Amino acid sequence: MSYVRLEKLRKSFGSLDILHGIDLEIARSEFLVLLGPSGCGKSTSLRMLAGLETVSSGRIFIDGRDVTGLEPRERDIAMVFQNYALYPTMTVGQNIGFGLKAKKMPADQIKKKVDEAAKLLNLSHLLDRKPGALSGGQQQRVAIGRAIVRQPKVFLFDEPLSNLDAKLRVEMRAEILRLHNELQATTIYVTHDQEEAMTMADRIVVMKDGLIEQVGTPEDIYFRPATRMVAGFIGSPAMNFIAGTGAGPCRIDSALGALKVDAAVREGQAVEIGIRPDNVTLAQSGYDGDNPVVPMTVKLVELLGPRAIVSLEHASGQAITAVVPYADISSFRTGSQVDIMLAVEAMHVFPVS
Amino acid sequence: MQLKYKFILPLALLLSAVMLYPLAFSGWLAFHEYRLTRLDDVHFVGFENFVLIATDPSFLNAMGNTLIFVLGAVSLELVIGLSLALLLQKLNILRNFSRSILLAPMFVTPIAVGLMFRFLLNAELGVIPHYLSKIGITVDWFGPDLALFSLILIDVWQWTPFMLLMFLAGLEALPKTPYEAARVDGAGPWLTFSRITLPMLRSVIVVALIIRALDAFKVFEYVFAITRGGPGNSTETIMYYIYQTGFRFFRMGEAAAAAIMLITVILVLVVLLVKFSQAEEARK
Amino acid sequence: MFSFRNPISRAFATLALLLAVFAVLFPFVWVFMESIKPASLGGRPDLWVFSPTWENWNEVTLNSDVPFNILNSFAIALVTVLISLLCGAPAAYAFSRFRGFESARYSILAAEMMPPAILILPFFLVLYHLKLIDSQIGVIAAHLTFVLPVVTWFLIGFFDEVPRDLENQAMIDGYTRFQAFYKVILPAVRPGLGAAGVFGFVLSWNDLFYALLLTGNESRTLPVAIAGYWTFRGVELGKMAVAILIAVIPVLALSHSIQKHLIRGIGGGAVKY
Ligand SMILES: Nc1ncnc2c1ncn2[C@@H]1O[C@H](COP(=O)(O)OP(=O)(O)OP(=O)(O)O)[C@@H](O)[C@H]1O
Ligand SMILES: [Mg+2]
Repeated sequence: MSYVRLEKLRKSFGSLDILHGIDLEIARSEFLVLLGPSGCGKSTSLRMLAGLETVSSGRIFIDGRDVTGLEPRERDIAMVFQNYALYPTMTVGQNIGFGLKAKKMPADQIKKKVDEAAKLLNLSHLLDRKPGALSGGQQQRVAIGRAIVRQPKVFLFDEPLSNLDAKLRVEMRAEILRLHNELQATTIYVTHDQEEAMTMADRIVVMKDGLIEQVGTPEDIYFRPATRMVAGFIGSPAMNFIAGTGAGPCRIDSALGALKVDAAVREGQAVEIGIRPDNVTLAQSGYDGDNPVVPMTVKLVELLGPRAIVSLEHASGQAITAVVPYADISSFRTGSQVDIMLAVEAMHVFPVS
Repeated sequence: MQLKYKFILPLALLLSAVMLYPLAFSGWLAFHEYRLTRLDDVHFVGFENFVLIATDPSFLNAMGNTLIFVLGAVSLELVIGLSLALLLQKLNILRNFSRSILLAPMFVTPIAVGLMFRFLLNAELGVIPHYLSKIGITVDWFGPDLALFSLILIDVWQWTPFMLLMFLAGLEALPKTPYEAARVDGAGPWLTFSRITLPMLRSVIVVALIIRALDAFKVFEYVFAITRGGPGNSTETIMYYIYQTGFRFFRMGEAAAAAIMLITVILVLVVLLVKFSQAEEARK
Repeated sequence: MFSFRNPISRAFATLALLLAVFAVLFPFVWVFMESIKPASLGGRPDLWVFSPTWENWNEVTLNSDVPFNILNSFAIALVTVLISLLCGAPAAYAFSRFRGFESARYSILAAEMMPPAILILPFFLVLYHLKLIDSQIGVIAAHLTFVLPVVTWFLIGFFDEVPRDLENQAMIDGYTRFQAFYKVILPAVRPGLGAAGVFGFVLSWNDLFYALLLTGNESRTLPVAIAGYWTFRGVELGKMAVAILIAVIPVLALSHSIQKHLIRGIGGGAVKY
């Protein structure tokens, strides 16, 4: 049973079409992440859901109610903005209680709720300060406090962590997750940070150019990317792509020679084979199984502590990136020749349109 | 009604009442014979008022005086204001102190400024002529030759601070890296100024010039306080001319025609200035 | 950026600056001296040392119309500014936020620049027919022609600096756009409101042209009263000096307080430094 539903949602600014029809169903208590490259329309979708942008066509339902034409204040949602948007002239306490005041809640009740929220977020000692006198992380927590205190139907976050430094980002990530587990609130969270998406989401929506590419759990998205775009966008370092043509039911001719794959391909069909750098390994001498072994020249080794990213080049000019454990690193000297093995079961085949 | 129009409604209503209506009324006046002394004989005269004004030597004289005044005052203010801004920015001693003092004149009631200088520059009572004569300089500041120039100087005293204010903010906002690069490249102060500072300040300069020039066209108080247009009509400015025509000779129609011609001149000048600065911009 | 490393050029620069400061201060100092000179010594340019007296100040503040003129000026400026803020602030907000107002924005600037010469004639005639010459209402209406556009223009720059997400947040928090405007946005631009108000007040306070033609005995403002000290009889000089200082001191104090907001206001969101 869907709790939030977007139906054929379109948006254009003047003659510029930004969203080309978004269909999405979100379950109660779900933590949904909108992920995609800059400018793909994530914020626009979220703002339409919030009622901050008008809808060009399509409909939006929250808890069974058509809210398409409603004002933001009539939708019973809360939103946390990238720059926090704290009211500069109010204290932290007033900031958090401002939405309750709009509901004409009695002052003592507001105070009680604000205190609860503050306690939950470790803000109790800051309630009388002005936002200007808070650190970035504290401001962020006030913004979240302002959202949760109203117990809205849906929480919307638009890149709430992107103004924080790396360490704080990880901390706040955990904190938002903890709150989500505690409150079981339906949450839609926009980010372009795939690590954030992977760690936080129940489901991820990958968008590109105003369209949804794939909706799925983090595992789906990572291990079973539906499109070439999703495959290339998710994962770091990015997936390797090898161009080829179908040469039989499970065979593809490519720059690296004939490869056996686990997918049906038509003969003569142009395809791209994707394989993640983690699935490119040093070939163990004497073992090949079904997996192809390919000779490569080492171009560059970048050490990342326990692992290293190795850039390789085939005689045909095809470049391949591999992530190898530190133990193997002595085999990869810049300029040297190595045999690498590509794991067939980890290969993805995408048709080229 | 759409919400955004509700926000501007009060302003729109009020401005229509106090500006649009009077403007339309003025337009109407300009085509009528309308004398306060002969209110029973108001009638349409076509372009007669414009012809009368355009061929009136005093109007042309007033227009000429005003143009000289605007040009002289604004260019002096530009040069002095820019120099002072550069000085202030580079001297770290006394900066805040001199800054707030130097900005003060632009807020002073113009009529008070006029009277103050009328008194300070007065040939018998004035302290400035008194000490100038001690070193052998005797000038009649408000004599036929110098009066307009003296008014320009007074305007410079009062309004250079405005230029200073604009340029100080402009200078403060300039990025630092071009200067560091210029120093590394060994560029001297003059080169740095003419090739880096000036081009980066140009939009501020254009805006400051337009605002100041438009304001200078309205000069009235100094003339009223000091010379009343004299000696002869050597300091009669356009505002003073309209004031005289409308409120001393009560010829409202002609005054309106003069005011419309003033606006036309101003519009043409603004358009030229904007076009010129855009052409400059495009040339770069 | 070069700075004056060379001590000689540094000395010259300092001297030039001090000269400018002197040029600004000297007239005030001299006028003040004149205001405390005994009437018998009035208008002596060579006189620096004398026993000061407050007789001119007493005369002007106790035995003249000047306090009444101050009251008029103050009331007119205050009402003008309040009306301007009331109508100008929502409009400036709209200009800053809503699309489709780009040219309206600049028509405000055009209104601000309108020469009073063209407006005074209709004003005079209309007020004359309404029998409102020599009333505060007439002058207030006239002052609105420049204070209202200035205040509106002044505020646009301040609204431009308030992030839009602030009112978005308030609207999500359950308020209408208008409530968001006055509960959240207006408080956030309070310094701008203050500065615009002070600026508009000073403009109204300083006006001579309209006040000269639209006031009389009942509503005469301070600048018009000062203009009345036109005759240079020795005895009047001291009083004129007092009147000048009385007109000038409050505006100087007021404007000093808004110096740091002036640039944004005058730029009105049009000047991007
Ligand atoms: N008010 C507007 N007028 C015109 N175009 C707009 C407007 N707002 C957004 N756009 C355009 O819509 C597209 C999508 O914008 P949106 O802000 O939704 O992107 P996003 O996915 O959130 O990107 P980012 O990750 O950079 O925040 C962009 O190309 C943007 O330029
Ligand atoms: Mg965005």
